Amino acid sequence: MILLSYGTAIVLFVIGLCTLLFRRNLFKIVIALSLMEGGVLLLITSMGYIPGGVPPLLPLLGEQAVNPLPQSFTLTAIVIGASDIALALAYIIKIYHHYGTVDVDKIRGLRG
Amino acid sequence: MTFTSSRLIHRIPALLLSLGIGFFLWRGLVLPSFPHLGSTAAHYVTHTASETGASNVVAAILFDYRAFDSLGEATVIYTTVCGVALLFAGRRYRSSRRGLSFVVKRGMALMVPFILLYASTIVLMGHLTPGGGFQGGVILATITVLFCIVYGSRFEAAQINPNKKEMAESFAGLFFVGLGLVGLLGGAGFLANLRAGFPGGTPGELLSAGTIPFLNIAVGLKVGASLSTLFYSMIKILEAPSEGPPPEVFSS
Amino acid sequence: MMSLPFLIFLHLFLVLAALAASEARDMLSAVIALSVFGILLAIVFALLQAPDVALTQAVVNSGLVTSLFLVAYSQTRKRPPRGPSRKDEDSL
Repeated sequence: MILLSYGTAIVLFVIGLCTLLFRRNLFKIVIALSLMEGGVLLLITSMGYIPGGVPPLLPLLGEQAVNPLPQSFTLTAIVIGASDIALALAYIIKIYHHYGTVDVDKIRGLRG
Repeated sequence: MTFTSSRLIHRIPALLLSLGIGFFLWRGLVLPSFPHLGSTAAHYVTHTASETGASNVVAAILFDYRAFDSLGEATVIYTTVCGVALLFAGRRYRSSRRGLSFVVKRGMALMVPFILLYASTIVLMGHLTPGGGFQGGVILATITVLFCIVYGSRFEAAQINPNKKEMAESFAGLFFVGLGLVGLLGGAGFLANLRAGFPGGTPGELLSAGTIPFLNIAVGLKVGASLSTLFYSMIKILEAPSEGPPPEVFSS
Repeated sequence: MMSLPFLIFLHLFLVLAALAASEARDMLSAVIALSVFGILLAIVFALLQAPDVALTQAVVNSGLVTSLFLVAYSQTRKRPPRGPSRKDEDSL
């Protein structure tokens, strides 16, 4: 179970990275960012899993509770991830108002 | 030559790099799982009921043991909303008046009190059940998103004034910091809970865990007001999109 | 509690939803696939005994990120010029 989650998280990260490098549409780049964040959060949460564990809610349903520390990091990271996706989308709207396109190859105003 | 070339010979190094990163992540990050918790986590799990009075260990970590990180997260959300609202300020942006049909409006009017009740439950019982300030705040923001979609953003701005949202967000942030300063005045450190004299109560009751319910309410109001302002800023329409690409784009 | 083929199916579905989100030609299909990915991730979090994280992921992904993507997508499309009898357009 844990190895399966690790493998899936790394595969999601690599898919996000390849999409980030190879796509020209700005929206696809932001979607790839969201995929990479999902992969990393899955990795963190599955690092805290203990086989046969119960959720960290008192009174405990079993003997061994799973690690509550990665869960609190993940909670913070989910909300911050949503905030930076929102800021990226606001930038895309402003870029479209200025350039008229969301193709990365055509938005090269800094090129000499 | 742009990097996003579609010729395969230019994409192979990037593909190999990504697969190499994946391979080394697999070899380096995958650790065997330990059958018992580490020392910090075991201390948190066994001493939450006595040191904080809360039943939800994750809420106790987020709002008692590591409450300063939650303050930092609220600051990140606040900064993001400031940035987005700054991008869409100005007189050339206006709000929309169009909504959906009558059936949808009436149906949503029936649903909104129940969604509000659900969000309040999640915020207030954050120290007993899974939930807390952040989840409830996002659901509160979703209600205003529904208002914008179904009735049009001009109706939503008329019902819930954006200035009142700003005031609610700032007041909630000041309340959070004020509770932390009360702990400092009590002699126990910033954002201290039971050591500063707040009543603990019995774990499992609604009025327990010292400052955690109040911190939950503050964070819920702050996150809800912030994300509602964020959505309202992004949905404005540009009146006269007359700017085109700058002339130096065509010279490449 | 949960059998191994079910877990393998769930993770495979997660990877397939991610592939659909990154490879779809139509932007709308990609955003819907991203929403499905988020909900499946919430299910996997719940199976990893993390109820707080699952609730946060489900609410944030389906309530906020999807609607922000759709707002941004509708704001970046070319509007066809209409006649003078058209009222002010809704940006959604």
